[in-house]
Amino acid sequence: MKNLKYIFIINILFSVLFLNSCKDDDVIDDDVEELITTVTYTLTPTSGDVVTLSFSDVDGDGGDDPIVTGGTLQANMNYTGTLDLRNDAVEPGESITEEIEEEDLDHQFFFSTAGGIDLTVAYNDQDSQGNPLGLATNLVAGAPSTGTLKVILRHKPEKAESGVSTGDITNAGGETDIEVTFDIDIQ
Amino acid sequence: MKKIIFLFLSVLFFPKNLLAQDCNITFTGVILDKGTNIPLEYSTIYIENIGEGTVSDERGFFEIKNICPAEYHVKISHIGCHSEEYFIKIEKDTLLKIYLSHHSELLDEVVIHGSHEDNSTESSQTVSRADIASESNKNLSDILENISGVSVLKNGSGISKPVVHGLFGNRVAVMNNGITQTGQQWGNDHAPEIDPFVADHLSVVKGASALAYGGNSLGSVVLVETDNIQEDPHLHGEVNYTLQSNGWGHTLNTAVEKNGKLAAWRLTGTLKRQGDNRAPNYFLTNTGKQENNIALQIEKQFHPKWKTDFYYSLFNTKIGILLGSHIGNLTDLQEAIGRSEPFSIEDNFSYDIGSPRQEVTHHLVKVETKYLMDDEKIIKFKYGGQLNNRKEFDIRRGSSSDRPSLNLSLFSHHGEAAYNGLVGEKIFLKAGVQFDMIDNGNIPGTGVSPLIPNYRSYQTSTYWIVQNDQAEEWLFEFGGRFSLKQLTVKRLTQTIPREVEVLDHLFQNYALSTGFRWRKNDFFKTNFNIGYLLRAPEVNELYSFGLHQGVSGIEEGNQNMDVEKSLKALWSLDFRIRNKFFVQALGYFQNIQDYIFLEPQEEFRLTIRGAFPVYIYKQTDANIAGVDLLLKYEPQQNLNFIAKYALVRGYDLTDDIGLVNIPSDNIFSSMTYTFKDQEKWKNNFFTINGRYVFQQKRIIVPSQDFLFPPDDYFLLGLQVGTNYEWHESSLKISLRAENLLNSTYRDYLNRLRYFADENGINVSLNLNYRF
Repeated sequence: MKNLKYIFIINILFSVLFLNSCKDDDVIDDDVEELITTVTYTLTPTSGDVVTLSFSDVDGDGGDDPIVTGGTLQANMNYTGTLDLRNDAVEPGESITEEIEEEDLDHQFFFSTAGGIDLTVAYNDQDSQGNPLGLATNLVAGAPSTGTLKVILRHKPEKAESGVSTGDITNAGGETDIEVTFDIDIQ
Repeated sequence: MKKIIFLFLSVLFFPKNLLAQDCNITFTGVILDKGTNIPLEYSTIYIENIGEGTVSDERGFFEIKNICPAEYHVKISHIGCHSEEYFIKIEKDTLLKIYLSHHSELLDEVVIHGSHEDNSTESSQTVSRADIASESNKNLSDILENISGVSVLKNGSGISKPVVHGLFGNRVAVMNNGITQTGQQWGNDHAPEIDPFVADHLSVVKGASALAYGGNSLGSVVLVETDNIQEDPHLHGEVNYTLQSNGWGHTLNTAVEKNGKLAAWRLTGTLKRQGDNRAPNYFLTNTGKQENNIALQIEKQFHPKWKTDFYYSLFNTKIGILLGSHIGNLTDLQEAIGRSEPFSIEDNFSYDIGSPRQEVTHHLVKVETKYLMDDEKIIKFKYGGQLNNRKEFDIRRGSSSDRPSLNLSLFSHHGEAAYNGLVGEKIFLKAGVQFDMIDNGNIPGTGVSPLIPNYRSYQTSTYWIVQNDQAEEWLFEFGGRFSLKQLTVKRLTQTIPREVEVLDHLFQNYALSTGFRWRKNDFFKTNFNIGYLLRAPEVNELYSFGLHQGVSGIEEGNQNMDVEKSLKALWSLDFRIRNKFFVQALGYFQNIQDYIFLEPQEEFRLTIRGAFPVYIYKQTDANIAGVDLLLKYEPQQNLNFIAKYALVRGYDLTDDIGLVNIPSDNIFSSMTYTFKDQEKWKNNFFTINGRYVFQQKRIIVPSQDFLFPPDDYFLLGLQVGTNYEWHESSLKISLRAENLLNSTYRDYLNRLRYFADENGINVSLNLNYRF
């Protein structure tokens, strides 16, 4: 049993020796450059005030809850819509929109409404092969109503599948880069 | 590879013909089965150098007369056994006791080593070299599935990890050549980085407390063991090739060894290339796999009492993950789950491995030196160093698909001093001190916030086990272990502005265990073991944060986690009836206080990419109990029937519901018939087997999982093989068919069950050439 005592002492020695030897030279990577933190959907009517819908989550998944801003549209009005995507988690913030324009073949936005709102969205741009992209859109606000507008950005969708080029997401596949929902009021 | 560990050899010299230098030496021996001590009648003994041979009688006894003193290569074969070769120096009348493994499925770890220091009251089962070689195209874990009570947790067919008695990952230690495998074992989608072909045998110790094995095991340990290099000064080895039809996979293994003048060495290498697997109705696109492994073992006997081993292994793999199983958000996931066939399936077969994929490299260096003191006392010093690099590539925007989303580098050191020997006259003591250091870092440049933070941990442990010596009928055992573990984590805060925070933890763990083994005779043996042990939470359980594809959701740790406290009792019974009917039964019960598990949350997390399922590590009290059963009936030496049955039940005591990821009950049975040897064609066998997996019916609360467990299934398999022997070489040819009926099924323990069917029919051809 004498041996055990020595073993125990050695153990304690080891522990003391190494407990204090932790160095502080690690590099920690805070460069989260792929993140999309902010989506801004700017709706410009043929006449009247510009409406800005936005979704912002600067600290990424977790942490503080995202800030979502919906909007009020004029009834029976046409709007042109422009989407802008940014990463504001890095200093300085950077635009993701340009990246999507460059890789237009690998991206497509999809728009859908819910809750009985009278709103239609149509593509107003194309990728280099003539399929829709969705950074630029035309919107028509109909009769006064309320509901939601959902904007989805798919990465590597299968654009050739049936219905995808008309904006039907059912057969699109791919991976979701963005999925945000805005509350809309048409008055 | 001529000496196989299943074969234990002892040489006794008859003192009578001391002066025999002429050619009148008598070489006699007795051939027994290793696991059961049953004499093996009709074994063939053949001395290759002189072309003489004989056959053993019903007592397993043989005799070869009138041979000259020389060095001989002796080949011993028996129906249903892997033939074995020995290099023996015969100088006088010699009596050999030779063990073959006719009943290899009945072997345990203690019998294999047959040495005093490995005596134990714990239960274990093994997979032999021959089975490893013939299934060398598979992963380590899939080969271990041959052992009853072992299941496999998968992420597609390329990634699998062993589940023993309902536990896996951090809770099952894997010992690679005596060193605890230190990789990223926390992930459900991370497989142990070990090439099974380096092993002479694989064992699973189904214990209550793994005192000597360290690590964080909650009882069970997987051992990947090499054997000693044979004392043969000639070069020997084997070349093993497997072609599999599903995925058109090629596996090439080689092993060469020699007892050279400077030292004994063995070199093994493995190359694997495999393309997309195929489910019965479609290709599983991007499920290819590549593997390049090499291992070098060197043994040096500096002195009759002092022996040193050196071992290095490199494991390198690239594994594709089914494209359709990569989730964007909850909507994507629900869409993918509902489909009859996965998204992004190609119509053509391909060897290409795109994203998502894993690339893992693992280095292991081990040095062990053993000194044999007087009266069989042994002192051992061991060092093991490991470097693990894991890169995971996701589908990303732009050119960044070539940039990993996860890039971890884990460096670990293990140092150990152990003592085995008698204390006083009747007490055998095994004791040791161990020191472990782990340094895990995220390599910058991924552009993704890391799931696992950087951390460093230090652990020192001592253990001791005492047994009664000369344990013929009764073996008693009592042991304990104490360890001190310090963990320092460095991470960025989750709130803006991001700052580096350093967090410290100190855990004191201890374990106590006792047990007995009662062996009445060769016909009856029973083991009982009970142990209490603590397991410190691992870094993933404390600090995971982010999207984890391995669980299809956002995973969050809890830094206030307490240690797990396990009480496990195990009882096993081995007996046989008239050398024809063999039974191994094992029952266990484990209570775990503060059992750590991932709990799916009812609310989803809203992110800019949509909503995600959220899993948070929680603690509860759990009970796990089960039974493993192995039956073998051998009415005659060339015909046998085997049945294996495993049952596990796991309950969360807080909510009174079933635990997730508990294996379904399963039954495996096989029939093997061995035909008569035809001159040089030996061991011609035919096996038919079936595996029935029940549905897991204890997951009934919808919030526990995205889907209820899949239906039960039955798989039929077939194998035929033969062994062609000439001079000092042999060629073993076998053909194996799995899922012969091409059944469409999904398995509860495979994450891909949400997205795709399991593999369809697979036929593989295995050629094994030994020289």
